[in-house]
Amino acid sequence: MSGTVTTAARRVLLLAIEAHRDDPATTRALHAQLARLDEPLRVAIAGKVKAGKSTLLNALVGEQVAPTDAGECTRVVTWYRDGPSPRITLQRKDAPPTALPVRRRDGALVIDLGDVPAERVDRLTVDWPSQSLRVATLIDTPGIASATAENSRRTVAFLDPDDDAPTEADAVIYLMRHLHAADAQFLESFRDRGVARAGAVHTIAVISRADEIGGGRVDAMFAARGIAQRYRADPTVRGLCQNVVAVAGLIAETGRTLRQTEFAAMAALAAEPKADLESQLRSVDRFLRGRDPAGRRQLLQRFGIFGVRLSTSLIRQGASSPAALATELVARSGLGELQRVLQTQFMQRRDLLKARSALLAVDSMLRSTQRGAALRHDIERILAGAHELAELRLLATLRSGQVELPKGAAAEAERLLGDAGASAACRLGSADDATPDQLRQDAFAALDRWQRHVVNPMFSRNTVDACRVVVRSCEGIVAALPAPGAGHGPASGGVHRPAGTRG
Amino acid sequence: MNRTEPLAVVDRTLAAITRFERPDLDDRLRHARSRLLDDRVRVLVVGEFKQGKSMLVNGLVGAPVCPTFDDIATAVPTHVRHAEKVTITLVRDLDPAGPDPAQRRTERIEVPAEELAAHVCEQGNPGNREGWSHVEVAVPRPVLSGGLELVDTPGVGGLQSVHGAATMAALPGADAVLLVSDAAQEYIGPELEFLAHAVSVCPNVACVLTKTDLYPSWRRILELNRGHLATAEVDAELFPVSSTLRWHAVLESDAEANAESGFPELIGFLRKRVLGQADRLARRGVAHDVLAVTEQLVGNLRAEQSAQQNPAEAQRLMRTLAEAQERATALKERSARWQQTLNDGVADLNADIDYDLRDRMREISRMAEEEILAGDPAKAWDQIASWVQQEVASAASANFLWATQRARWLAHQVAEHFAGDRDQLLPALRNDPSDALRSVRPMAAPDRSPVGLGNKALTAMRGGYGGLLMFGMAGTFLGFASIINPLGIGAAIMMGGKSIGDERKRLLTKRQNEAKAAVRRYVDDVTFQVAKDSRDRLRLVQRDLRDHFTAQAEQLKRSLQESQQGAERAVKASRGEREARLAEIVTALEQLETVRRQARALLPAPVPAGSPARPREAVRAG
Repeated sequence: MSGTVTTAARRVLLLAIEAHRDDPATTRALHAQLARLDEPLRVAIAGKVKAGKSTLLNALVGEQVAPTDAGECTRVVTWYRDGPSPRITLQRKDAPPTALPVRRRDGALVIDLGDVPAERVDRLTVDWPSQSLRVATLIDTPGIASATAENSRRTVAFLDPDDDAPTEADAVIYLMRHLHAADAQFLESFRDRGVARAGAVHTIAVISRADEIGGGRVDAMFAARGIAQRYRADPTVRGLCQNVVAVAGLIAETGRTLRQTEFAAMAALAAEPKADLESQLRSVDRFLRGRDPAGRRQLLQRFGIFGVRLSTSLIRQGASSPAALATELVARSGLGELQRVLQTQFMQRRDLLKARSALLAVDSMLRSTQRGAALRHDIERILAGAHELAELRLLATLRSGQVELPKGAAAEAERLLGDAGASAACRLGSADDATPDQLRQDAFAALDRWQRHVVNPMFSRNTVDACRVVVRSCEGIVAALPAPGAGHGPASGGVHRPAGTRG
Repeated sequence: MNRTEPLAVVDRTLAAITRFERPDLDDRLRHARSRLLDDRVRVLVVGEFKQGKSMLVNGLVGAPVCPTFDDIATAVPTHVRHAEKVTITLVRDLDPAGPDPAQRRTERIEVPAEELAAHVCEQGNPGNREGWSHVEVAVPRPVLSGGLELVDTPGVGGLQSVHGAATMAALPGADAVLLVSDAAQEYIGPELEFLAHAVSVCPNVACVLTKTDLYPSWRRILELNRGHLATAEVDAELFPVSSTLRWHAVLESDAEANAESGFPELIGFLRKRVLGQADRLARRGVAHDVLAVTEQLVGNLRAEQSAQQNPAEAQRLMRTLAEAQERATALKERSARWQQTLNDGVADLNADIDYDLRDRMREISRMAEEEILAGDPAKAWDQIASWVQQEVASAASANFLWATQRARWLAHQVAEHFAGDRDQLLPALRNDPSDALRSVRPMAAPDRSPVGLGNKALTAMRGGYGGLLMFGMAGTFLGFASIINPLGIGAAIMMGGKSIGDERKRLLTKRQNEAKAAVRRYVDDVTFQVAKDSRDRLRLVQRDLRDHFTAQAEQLKRSLQESQQGAERAVKASRGEREARLAEIVTALEQLETVRRQARALLPAPVPAGSPARPREAVRAG
C-alpha cells in the first residue's frame, strides 16, 4: 500500500542517524522513530473531562484496563500497548522509569501512582497482552477544559505541543458529549502546519455517552445517531474531522466484558413484574433501594440506568445467554460502527500515517540540530511528492472547502481519494462483490471522467490541480488491478508509484 | 410574595395625607406603590447546553412551558411568569438603540401554545433568525404567584458564546441565578468562571445538579462540586434535583416521587431566600417611604400644636423653625458637594469605561485583520465573522459588568456624604444590559461570488486581444501573411492568462480590504453603540441619584416652611379657632401614628449589629 513512503521514511531516518553518529541523544530519538515505523499505529483518545475516554478505551480493548471513576480520573497521559505480559511502567520527568505493581480489583486494573505527584509523571505505559492492542497502541489522555487547569494542560501539551514538534500520536479519536466551543477550538488545533498538512484526516469525532441523551430512554441511541448525522453534515465539523460516530461507551465496555454473574443478576431483574421494575428504574436512588443494594450498585456502575433498562428488556425479548446479551449490547452501543470507521480511516492508512509522523519528527529534529540540509530537502520532496500524502492533503482541503469542485464531483473525488476505504471497490464505489472486469470498467470510466475535468478550461488552477491528484489516484487503481484475463486475484486498491515524481 | 400588606399600608397612608395637600409627598408614595405592583423577581436559569435547563423550568412550574428536545433545543430566552390565563407572547425590540430602556418600542405578537416550539426551538428557528428578543409565557401556577419570573436561557454555544455574553450582561438585573449542570460530571472551567462572575453581581446564586435519576454517583459529583465551589470561594447553595422524577410526580400526583425529586427544596429556596429577600427589600422600602413622609407631616403638626397651645412660645418656635430651614438649605448646599462627587465620578467612569471598551475592541480588530490577511476572506468569512461577533459580545458584556460594578461603588461613595442623615436609602440603579449588539447592522460579507465565466472570458479576451494585436502585427513583419499567426496566438494566450491571474490577485486584495473594512465597521458600530449606551446609562444613574436627593431636600424644606406658616397662623388665631384646630391636629396625629405603627410592623425585627447587610439591599430599595 504505502510501502514507498515507508521505505523513503526509513531511508531518510537511517541517513539522519548516520549524520548524527556523534550525537547520542539525537541518535536515540531517531532510533525510536525508526522503531516506531514497525510499531502499531498510535491512536490517542482525547476529549473534555468526563467525556468517557477511559470507558471507550476499555470497550475498544475489550478489557477493563483503564481505571474509570465518577470524578475526574485520568490525570496523566497513559499508553496502552500490546506486551507479552502485564506490566505498568511509570516514566518520570526527573528520575529513571520505575515499574508499578499490577493489581486488579473486581476485574479492573488498578493503577496507583503511589506518592509520585501527577505533574512529575511524564507518562504511564501499560503493557497488556491483547489482540486489540496489537494493531493499535491506544493513548488515554486527561480531559481538556478540566477544572484543574494543570490536567488539561498536560493533554494539550501532548497532542498539540506549542513548538513545531510533531505530536506523538498518529491519529486522534476525539470524544465529545455535544460539540462545544472548546471542542471546536481543540480540534482546530490538530490541523497541522507545514507541508504534510493533512488536517482532519487523522481525527475522528465520537459523540460519547450517547446512552444518556434524552434521559436514558431506551431509544436514546436513535436520537444520538440523528445528532451524529447532523454534525456530519455540518461544514464546520467536516473541516475538523473525518467522521462523526455516536457510541454508548459504557454499554460497549460492559458488553465486551460481561460476566456470568452480571447476566444472572440481570435475568433475575428481568423476571420481576414489569410495572414494578419500571417504577424502580425511574431513578438510581429508587433502584438502589431494592433488594441487594450492593449488588445493584455494582450493576449500575457497569451498565448505567440505560444499560439496566436495555438489558432487562433484551432478556425479556429473548437474549437468554450471557453471550447473546453481550452481542446485543455491543451491537446497540455503536461500537461496531466506530470500529468499522477506525478500520477504514485509520488502520488501512496506518503505514502512511506512521510514515508521515516519522518524517515530520525527523524534519523537526534536523531543524533543531541544524544538520543534514540535504536530508531536509529529501524530506520535503517526499512529503510534497508522495502521492498518498497528496491524497491526504487533498482530502483535507476538499473537506475544509478551500478547493471547489462541481457539485457531485466533490463526493466522488473524496471517494476516489480513499475517504471511505482504500480498496479499489471502495474507491470506485462499486459493489463489494464486483468482478475485476467490472472494477476495471468502473476505473476506466472514472479515469476518463477526471481526465476530462483536468482539461476543462473553465476550472481554476487549484481545481485543476485537485483533479490531477484524483486522476493519479484513478491511474493507481487501474495499475493495481490484475491484468485482464490474468486470473481473479483479490482486488486490492492503492497506488504504486515511486515517491518523488510529480503528476 | 405577599405584597398586599405593604400595599394596604401605602394606600392608607395616601388616604391619610390627602388632606394636607402635599402633592410632592403624594408623588413619592405613589411611586412606592407602582414599584410594589410591578416589581418582578427575576430568576435566570443558566448553564452549558444539554444540562436540562428547560426541563428544570418545566419541573419548577409543573407545566410544559419550555420545549425540550434530545438535540440542542432552546434558541430564544423564555420568560415564564404568573397570569390567570395561559398566554404566549413573542417579543421583538423595534428600536433597541433607544436611549431610555423604558421608552423602547417593542413588537408583541401573541401565538397559540402549540406554536411555541416552532419559534423557540433551534429546529424551528435556527440561531434565532426570526430575531425575537424573548418569549413571554404566562401560566396560572401558584409557584409563580408573588412575582417570580423564571428565565430559561438558550444553551446554544455554551457559556462562552454570544448567547453566554448576553446572559452575563443580564446578570445584574436578576434577583437570582440558578446555574444548571448535570450529574454526569463535576464543574468544568467555564462554569466556575461564570459562577465567580455571578456572585460578584447577583445577590442570590444557587447551583442545581440535574439528572440525579440517571447517574448513580451523583452524590460523589455533588461533593466534588462543593469542593470546587469552596476552592473558588464561591458562596452558593447546591441543589440536587431530578426533573424526570418531578415530571412523573406531576403527571401521576405521586407525592413520594416529588419528595425524591429534590424540587421541594429548590422551590423552598426560591420562595424563602429569593422571594423572601425581595419581599424584605420591598417592605423595607415601603416602610422607609411611609415613615419619611409621615415624619415630615407629624413634625409640622407637632410644631403647630405647640404653637396653638402656647402662642407666647410661638415666637421662639418660629426662630427654631427658621434655624431648621437654614439647615434644610444647608442640606441643599451640601448637595453641591455630593453632586460634585457624583459628577466627577461619572466623568471618570465614562472615561475609564470608554477606554476599556476601545482597548478590548481594538485588540479584536487587530487579531481579525491578521486572520484576514493570512488567507482568502471569502472562504473563511463565516468563521471569522462568528469569531468576531463572539469576541465582541463577550468584550461588551465584560465591559458592561465592570461598568455596573463601578457605578454601584460610585453610588456608595455618594451616599457616604449622607452618612450623618439616618439610614439613607439609595434609589434603584438602572442596570438593563445594552442591546447594542442586536441593534448593530450585521457584518457585511465581502463579495464572495466567484469570478463568473463570462467575466473571466472577457478579461482573458481583453488581455489576449492586446497580445494578438501587438505580436500578430510584429509577426506580419516576420513574414506571416495574416495578423492571426502563431506568434500572435501564442502571445494572446499568454497575455490572456496573465490578465486572468492579475485579475484574480486584484480581486483577492479587494476582498481582503473589504473584509477588513467590514470588520472594522462592525467593531466601530458596536463600540459606538455600546459606548453610547453606557454613557446614557450612567447619565440616567446620575440623574436618578440627583433627583432622589434633591427631591428629599425639597420635601424637607417645604415641610419646614409649612410648619412656620402653621406657627404664624397660631399667633394670629382667635381662641375658638385655636381649640377647633387643636382638636383637628390631635385626630390627624392619631391617624398618622396609626399608619406609622403599621409601617414599622413591616420592618423585620432588628438585626444584631455586626451582620453586614448586602450592599445590594441598600442599592435596590429606595
